[in-house]
Amino acid sequence: MEGQVALLLAVSLLVLGLGTLLSRRNVIWKLLGLNVASGGAALFLVAVGHRPQAVPPILGWGPGPAADPLPQALILTAIVIHFATLALSLVYVIFLTEHLHTQDVPKLERGEDE
Amino acid sequence: MTAALAGVLGYFLAGTLELLRTKTGPCWGLVAWAGGLISLALWAPGFPESKLGGPLWGISLVGDPIALAFWCFIPLVHAAVGWHERRRPATFHGLVTLLVGTCLATVLSRDLFNLFVCLELNSLLSFLLIGFDARSRAVWASLQYLILTTVGMILYLVGLGLVYGELGTLSLAQISTLAVDFSTPSLAVGAGLLVAGAAVKAGVFLLGLWLPLAYREAPTGVSTLLAGLVGKMGIVTLARLAQALPVGPLVVSLGVVTGFGGLIYALWERDLKVFLAYQVMSQVGYMLIGFGLGGPAFFGALLYTVACCLYKGLLFQAAGQAVEAVGKRDIPSLAGRLPGPAAIGLAVGTAAIVGLPPLAGFVGKELLGVMVPPAFSWTLTVLTLGTAASFSKLLPLFRMGPAAGERGAVTLLTAGVLGFSSWGLLSLPSLWAPSLWLRALAAVAVGFGLHLVIHRLDIRLPRIGLDRAALVSLVGSVGLALATVLWL
Repeated sequence: MEGQVALLLAVSLLVLGLGTLLSRRNVIWKLLGLNVASGGAALFLVAVGHRPQAVPPILGWGPGPAADPLPQALILTAIVIHFATLALSLVYVIFLTEHLHTQDVPKLERGEDE
Repeated sequence: MTAALAGVLGYFLAGTLELLRTKTGPCWGLVAWAGGLISLALWAPGFPESKLGGPLWGISLVGDPIALAFWCFIPLVHAAVGWHERRRPATFHGLVTLLVGTCLATVLSRDLFNLFVCLELNSLLSFLLIGFDARSRAVWASLQYLILTTVGMILYLVGLGLVYGELGTLSLAQISTLAVDFSTPSLAVGAGLLVAGAAVKAGVFLLGLWLPLAYREAPTGVSTLLAGLVGKMGIVTLARLAQALPVGPLVVSLGVVTGFGGLIYALWERDLKVFLAYQVMSQVGYMLIGFGLGGPAFFGALLYTVACCLYKGLLFQAAGQAVEAVGKRDIPSLAGRLPGPAAIGLAVGTAAIVGLPPLAGFVGKELLGVMVPPAFSWTLTVLTLGTAASFSKLLPLFRMGPAAGERGAVTLLTAGVLGFSSWGLLSLPSLWAPSLWLRALAAVAVGFGLHLVIHRLDIRLPRIGLDRAALVSLVGSVGLALATVLWL
């Protein structure tokens, strides 16, 4: 049951994030959408490692089957990468805002060199 | 394996040390470069699949022909870029060294998640390098590149989750022994998303439309590196996927679409670097057709990829130098004003890419043409005609202008193209057949004739901005996933 709920939540986060990316004109909104979508992908991978009645995969954490630890280990790496991506792209957005005085994507695409 | 791993780690260490220096020019980059060559000499001609970090959950690394081919020419591209940009600050060279290091790692890896990490590192470093000059156009181009490739990588991650959920392993080497079929829909969707994500990164037409703008705005050395090396990492991933999962037909159809899509945009493009960028997309078509078909065509596609990296790198290097020297990007307004080395580089690159014998493009195209089934052989011939037709408009550029230009990088890459050509001709005697030479010459002549007709037409193709590019990437990826379920 929890597995299905997590999968559903992950897919809705993906749709929400990618929808924001497509529909908003402001580049910061687009990046936020992208970040929500990558959160969705991370949750999706964790949900894949779910097993019924499982406990967290920590040594000495009681009896019973443990959840698959590999997706959780992978997701740590992916989260770090997505954090770095977001941080760097925000730096570039700051640069563009300072030089072109806009965060609107159509205007940025027309933007002239200084 | 240890030697290859040491080479990669050496690159990462040297790149990091270089970032800490404050002077100009490469220093640790040189050390890494030499280390890479020594490491290649130690592990060549290959090593079997081995697990880094223990037999059960370790990362699959393999020193197969793909890895060997890439490791052989990567030092050349790195040297050309390092030489051309030698007056830049050490930060730049540090980033270049790290980027080359991730490419060395990508081609060794046969693990789905490890490929993901390498591709993401690749994107991040190219993102920094494209915008390195802090011009707002370039910064915007690299932001667009990052947003679109991240969309692709998110889809790849979801696909990875689905495949892992079904098969319980991330090692492509292990997956290829499982004889996977697509009877379970979630596995099919997963494989489709993996292919889509890698295709976005590879700059396949309609999925990876970040490519023209990024290649146009990147500094000269960086666009050489992108065209000659980094842009091919998505293709390597697609080739690895096609080796392990039965997604061949999908990869072949992507190849046909990107071959013709890129070509149509290239035919009427007037901006020199954008024109070359669309040609990069079109050349990707050849490789994907070969990699998707598998068998002997796989080997042909690999050699084609190496040839293409060399002459594409040369073309971008020469074009970048020309644009730097003249200060204009329009092909007609560049005519007759190019510095000598740039004009020669463009001429050699063009002769190689249209497949004039005995140059590298001829070797690659004929090899691939012989190894694919006849139906695809015709597709490739049509693509070759189109390539010749679109490159005919560069003819006025080969006349040198008065300006003197820099020779080093162009000479290195030209030597690479010539070296590959002579290696191909010496090791494959079947390429000496006069009928092949006549056919290649005839294809170029017909292509030139086509150009005379086409350049009279004035067709403006729609420009594709970030929003549309993101939309077509997503729709295309979902389409690919559906196609895997319904078709394969």
